[in-house]
Amino acid sequence: MSSVRPKLKPETPKSITAWETATGRTVWMTADGGWTADTAQIAAFTGDEAEERLAAAAKQEAIITDPYFMEVTETGGITGRETLRESIRANGPTVAYGDKA
Amino acid sequence: MYRYDEFDAQIVKERVAQFRGQVERRLSGELLEDEFKPLRLQNGVYLQLHAYMLRVAIPYGQLSARQMRMLARIAREYDRNYGHFTTRQNIQFNWVALKDIPDVLALLAEVEMHAIQTSGNCIRNTTSDHYAGAARDEIMDPRPWCEIIRQWSTFHPEFAFLPRKFKIAVTGAAHDRAAIRVHDIGLHMRERDGVRGFEVHVGGGQGRTPHIAALVNDFVPEDRLLDYLEAIMRVYNLHGRRDNKYKARIKILVNELGEEEFTRQVEAEFAAQRSHEKIDLPQAEIDRIHAYFAPPELATKPETSDVFEAAKASDKVFARWARTNLHPHVTPGYTSVTVSLKPIGGLAGDATDAQMEIIANLAETYGQDDIRVSHAQNIILAHVALDDLPALHAELDAAGLATPNESLITDLIVCPGLDYCNLANARSIPVGQAVQKVFADPDYQEDIGRLHINISGCINACGHHHVGHIGILGVDRKGEEFYQITFGGRADEKAAIGDIAGPGLKSEDVPGALKRVVDRYRELRSGKDELFIDTLGRLGHDPFKEALYAAD
Ligand code: SF4
Repeated sequence: MSSVRPKLKPETPKSITAWETATGRTVWMTADGGWTADTAQIAAFTGDEAEERLAAAAKQEAIITDPYFMEVTETGGITGRETLRESIRANGPTVAYGDKA
Repeated sequence: MYRYDEFDAQIVKERVAQFRGQVERRLSGELLEDEFKPLRLQNGVYLQLHAYMLRVAIPYGQLSARQMRMLARIAREYDRNYGHFTTRQNIQFNWVALKDIPDVLALLAEVEMHAIQTSGNCIRNTTSDHYAGAARDEIMDPRPWCEIIRQWSTFHPEFAFLPRKFKIAVTGAAHDRAAIRVHDIGLHMRERDGVRGFEVHVGGGQGRTPHIAALVNDFVPEDRLLDYLEAIMRVYNLHGRRDNKYKARIKILVNELGEEEFTRQVEAEFAAQRSHEKIDLPQAEIDRIHAYFAPPELATKPETSDVFEAAKASDKVFARWARTNLHPHVTPGYTSVTVSLKPIGGLAGDATDAQMEIIANLAETYGQDDIRVSHAQNIILAHVALDDLPALHAELDAAGLATPNESLITDLIVCPGLDYCNLANARSIPVGQAVQKVFADPDYQEDIGRLHINISGCINACGHHHVGHIGILGVDRKGEEFYQITFGGRADEKAAIGDIAGPGLKSEDVPGALKRVVDRYRELRSGKDELFIDTLGRLGHDPFKEALYAAD
């Protein structure tokens, strides 16, 4: 893990997020176990299923890197203590940069 | 400027090929992230919040126009048209894809650049005074010694797995512009009885446990420097705390052993080494490296320039910039120019590819092909004729690179913070922008005078908040950003770590609170030439704390 994130309770809905290995862009697991860069497709998991999904993600290292649990609402919206960090991961810097600065 | 010999070129080329293979194996899944991470870090590749980040070494902050153009090309072709110049005098690209990084490194190798020694537990890029070889107050040019240290430390087998990263800084002027006392080793060049040497400071650093370095030896002659450094590294390698990341820096060791005992051990190691393994550099080698840094051949000019004086008299905007962004040059009729990367409301240290191209062109036209990156995240053109300043200023201004604020309150040092950094607790950039806005009026800034505000988004202190006259540290409180303010830090020869003023502030309260502090300073200063840091020293911190927490 590149950084230690807060522990979430088993019943707390969570998504599995990671970085795409080839590009580094942020991705989330979809309901069918694939990966998406589209936050509308974020799936929420709980309990044992979440653990199994994370274990499965950890085996896909060629495709993704450093998967971890991210707190979400039941419908996959970013929420909880790390909302700011995860929103920035999802949407990019909060300031205009490069040619747009 | 140092030029690669065939060995340097070969080593860098081989390194690119090796890393290309490693990346291929990572992408095929043959290498797992845990195995790959130390390899990528040895090549400057980090995984940040939303992408990989590539940190490219700019040894002692010096670049040629050709190199700057290559950085521009990389920004354009492999990133999002910009790069970020850092407090370590390096550049970071924020959005490069891992699959492309071998190609990027190959392009860098074409212009004698690489990303070696920009991360991991090795001796990192040696940093220096950005006016080196140009400043009027310089006693000796530190760059040849930075280069000698670079050559000695790169791939040195004993230093490949240090307990922790290790940073060395060298300065050759009386006024320390390289913050040497907050480095693991800080070297201040001195001359004694006609012999050149170094005052050696060890164990400075910022981060979680900031320390000002201890003076370990007040004069090591230059031909013995490498032996002395080697002795320090051996003591560190032997006792440095590999078991605890937070205690692994040499500052902790110096502190735990005590300055006296640490010094005793270094001297003992030095003496032992001198008797059988000494690595005295032959004078010929010292001279050979120095030759690369010979001063540029500048046409003889009078001390004052009519063109320059006339432009100042007729153009207020130019006159202001000339007051703030120039630094006295050793050669009459010349100056060093700060190209500000701190436009009001911009991103400190960022430059677009187009701006990099412009800086490269201007360096060729007006600046002897010599570009520097300062630890304050600006660009310096080290040698510019006073006669050329009006033309240079016009071109910089058109490119948004002529903000007249060098060392003024809007020239903030700002780390990437939570907008980019995977370790951050809070954002730095928006807070810096908001602070800049309340002080934006250039008359107000000039009235305030030299005042360094430094911001870090976490305790790692990449934004040097501990040594800002005013420091701002972002902290996370249950998911909310707060900002802790420190007063009284400084990075120069009177280096000091700032004191925390009190409870953290919400981001929206920071600009107003700092404005109250600064206005209190303007009321209390003994005169216009008493700097904020000196008023603080004279009166203590209480009046400023009071202003900080006073209700609007
Ligand atoms: S100080 Fe912290 S937040 Fe800022 S760049 Fe360094 S590690 Fe990241």
